[in-house]
Amino acid sequence: MRKRRLAGAIVTAVFVLLATGCGSSAGSDGKTVVTLFHYKLEASDTFRKIQERFNETHDDIELKIESPNEAITVLKTRLVREDYPDIVGIGGDIDYSNFLDADLFMDISDFEGTAWIKPEYMEIEEQLELLPEDGTYALPYMANCAGILYNRDMFEENGWEIPGTWSEFLELCDGIRAAGITPIYLGLKDTWTCMSPWNSLAVSFASADVCSRVSAGETTFAVEYAETAEKIKALLDLCEPNPYAYSYNDACIAFARGEAAMYPIGSYAAPQILSVNPDMNIGSFTFPAHEDEADNVLTSGVDLQFSVMKECKNKEAAYEVLRFLYEDELVQMYADEQNAIPCKEGEFTLPTILDGMKEYLESGRVGDFHDHHYPSEMSVSGMIQTYLMDDSENAAETFLNRFDTEWIRYNRDLIARLKEYEEGTK
Amino acid sequence: MKKGMKINTYVLMLLPALILFAAFNTIPLFTGAYYSLTNYRGYGSYDFVGLRNYIDLFQDSRVGGSYLFTFKYAITGTILVNVLSLILALGLNSRIRFKSLLRGIYFIPNILSGLVVGFIFGFFFTYILPAIGSALEIGFLSSSMLASEKTAWIGVLIVGVWQAVAMNTIIYISGLQTIPTDIYEASAIDGAGKWETFRSLTLPLMVPFVSINLILSTKNMLMVFDQIVALTKGGPAQSTESISYLIYNNGMSGGQFGFQSANAVVFFVVIVAISVTQMVITGKKEEQL
Repeated sequence: MRKRRLAGAIVTAVFVLLATGCGSSAGSDGKTVVTLFHYKLEASDTFRKIQERFNETHDDIELKIESPNEAITVLKTRLVREDYPDIVGIGGDIDYSNFLDADLFMDISDFEGTAWIKPEYMEIEEQLELLPEDGTYALPYMANCAGILYNRDMFEENGWEIPGTWSEFLELCDGIRAAGITPIYLGLKDTWTCMSPWNSLAVSFASADVCSRVSAGETTFAVEYAETAEKIKALLDLCEPNPYAYSYNDACIAFARGEAAMYPIGSYAAPQILSVNPDMNIGSFTFPAHEDEADNVLTSGVDLQFSVMKECKNKEAAYEVLRFLYEDELVQMYADEQNAIPCKEGEFTLPTILDGMKEYLESGRVGDFHDHHYPSEMSVSGMIQTYLMDDSENAAETFLNRFDTEWIRYNRDLIARLKEYEEGTK
Repeated sequence: MKKGMKINTYVLMLLPALILFAAFNTIPLFTGAYYSLTNYRGYGSYDFVGLRNYIDLFQDSRVGGSYLFTFKYAITGTILVNVLSLILALGLNSRIRFKSLLRGIYFIPNILSGLVVGFIFGFFFTYILPAIGSALEIGFLSSSMLASEKTAWIGVLIVGVWQAVAMNTIIYISGLQTIPTDIYEASAIDGAGKWETFRSLTLPLMVPFVSINLILSTKNMLMVFDQIVALTKGGPAQSTESISYLIYNNGMSGGQFGFQSANAVVFFVVIVAISVTQMVITGKKEEQL
């Protein structure tokens, strides 16, 4: 009999071992614990400051901020385990769309902060809904934008001017090449870096709702992306030799060391570049995709937004954290430290690096990153890299046809549901 | 009573391992098989879709490409690993100086983490090798081999083989030591040369070790993952996406949990089939003294 009990004890011990790792959300000293999970690893210092300040000024709520490496994957594995944080800070992209579609977020339309946000960013949020939803599920915090970063000192020394049109851009590149410098650096080894010039071009030539229009069967990518595909290939004549050998890191280092004059990437690359060369004078301008400057559109999307999880037990505490985050002083601090663009209405100073894009931002001539709407498992960036490496004559045709067929396949369930929805509303 | 207690003790000794194995291996296997019949994204709600994932699997060009790459990699890798490690084992088992030291050194690649080795080799392939190549004016070396879809898999293969040789060498050395020396003396008296001795004596007696090594290295090579993450991330142009990498990447971060579970189930069946076939074939060739 005693042996039986021993066996029982061993079994229990093993199960206890297996079961640990599921945390609880009640604080040890009676405080309400609010966990904020965000994916901006590069901003963890700023978030640490926010956490300290919040906990100094609040006696009843304890804020815990987590920002692991590979945050989105970590978050997904946590969701599988049903281990939910209270607030998540992620980007306004397809991951958010999927989380929202999986019914993970709380409707926060009763939070007064929804009125603080600039309408163009709230509109982006609406476009991110796979199926139209009632209510508000995300609060945009910071936006980023992408275009071309350039070496300001190098441009001044050589008397180069910022191009406003595609031909001016090509001319400028000829001039830079003649001076013995690589015009642009691409670094296409990490496939996602292919997306930066792609987004800048796509936003100029196709409207923001192109993805939902293709899903609805109203148009095809072969039509909408033809010019984008043509122009992105033209960039290959202007970049470093064999761009597929160099990663994002390599490209940032090369650009920081003055090996190239321009780098078509988003404002989010600035901290990385400055970490290599703190004295570098980086400027930026909108991708000159069109022949008429007035047609150019700046790519700008929501880089960081907050959502409250449905499972959050203490809504008021979560709102208090959000209220704190949206205090003007903190918004400005975040924007300054991360070279980000506040989504909140108000007089904020924009980072100097974005001077060249200011006009577009202020007049609202912006469009969301197209890849925020691509399903990540479709790996569009890999398809673009494949297309760029394809030297055959009908490369563009192959690529665009593949885009269309794969789109239908990967979005099959969504397209069926969209149809159902349309029929339901009729 | 006494007899019953004895059985209990054995059961008790087995139990922890059994529970752990079931919890981390068997149960996940069945849940995976269950999810393979759904369109589960890894979180949230899902629907049953029957065998649709399995039908899609055979039409998906990316999955097809990953199988092609993985098998190309595993077959060349297994051959290279076994040839190289057998040669190394013969060398390290012969009468040479610093034998123990050398055995230790040749084992080091196995101790290092696959990711760390991958990152070091990645730097080597991207910067050092092309620099050497252009200095010596060797055309095919002057650009990074990881950047071309034709040669990237060779880069991954070099790293994979370099690491895998260590373990197989140790197994071969232990195999060589099981062969009694007197049969070598007999063959020397019969006037057999080095090659003849190796072919007719060493190799047949080593078959059990060859078979275990073949199975181990095929399985390891089929599961290639670390090297891909560190070296190419599946690129360029999706040419080095291995099956495991695709399952992890699209299943975890890509939201294809259900579909990639189906892929994993098929992959599991494939690996079991290969291992059983290998055992049957090499089992027939085993010789006993």
